[in-house]
Amino acid sequence: MDVKYINPFIAAAQTVFKSMLAIDVKMGKPIIKNKGVASGDVTGIMGLVGDRKGTLCISFHERGALFVFKTLIGDECDKLGPEVVDAIGELTNIISGQARKEFEQAGVNLSAAIPMVVVGKNTEMNFITAIPIISLPFSFSVNNGDHETMYLDFSFE
Amino acid sequence: MGKCIMTVDDSASVRQMVSFTLKGAGYEVVEACDGSDALAKLNGKTINMIITDLNMPNLDGIGLIKGVRGHASYKFIPIIMLTTESQDSKKQEGKSAGATGWIVKPFKPEQLLAVIKRVLG
Repeated sequence: MDVKYINPFIAAAQTVFKSMLAIDVKMGKPIIKNKGVASGDVTGIMGLVGDRKGTLCISFHERGALFVFKTLIGDECDKLGPEVVDAIGELTNIISGQARKEFEQAGVNLSAAIPMVVVGKNTEMNFITAIPIISLPFSFSVNNGDHETMYLDFSFE
Repeated sequence: MGKCIMTVDDSASVRQMVSFTLKGAGYEVVEACDGSDALAKLNGKTINMIITDLNMPNLDGIGLIKGVRGHASYKFIPIIMLTTESQDSKKQEGKSAGATGWIVKPFKPEQLLAVIKRVLG
């Protein structure tokens, strides 16, 4: 895949985390996935159509999602309830919007569908594309200096 | 008593973030979950500004603006769009319907407050 179709997603993830959560994320080594399976326990899914088509997923393990919710909203939550699901859906929506803005600046016009959120481990997903899925892991610090990961998985053609 | 701002978004998270920011700055806040809910909650209430999402179920942000602008009491109320949509065509659609301003998410609380202060004075 051309790197020009990857960079907007990287920039979007970093920009949104920095501006809305005041968190610097560090990208790890990308992974190629041949099967559409959720990377974490809670996953926001957004379809993209227009000059290109694809699917964007934002996925967290439970602890990471709860930390993001607390940082974003200011409330504590101890399980993946509807409040956390809503926040992950909105975060997916905002990262998708920022990515679309970056793509537009590169001359690629895209529209987004309504985001969906699935909760569960190893949930199978349809990426509507024939090409492999690229999974970008973004690490961020949580309490006590531990780290959690946001997975930005996408397939785009 | 502070000025009253209505925040309209189908995401409870966004409503909560916006409310937290506005209440911290001394504004009163009314929340609505979509355009229809917003129009129902206006109902004679003194609202000094509306901050609304674009894409919402039942009645979207453009529909809300048209509904508000068609109401004599709220014809000139400032309406700010707060949305992930950044395309010029969408912004033009909002402007034509009567939007006062447009903020693209992600937003920083201080950015939101700066826009509100500029509009409300």
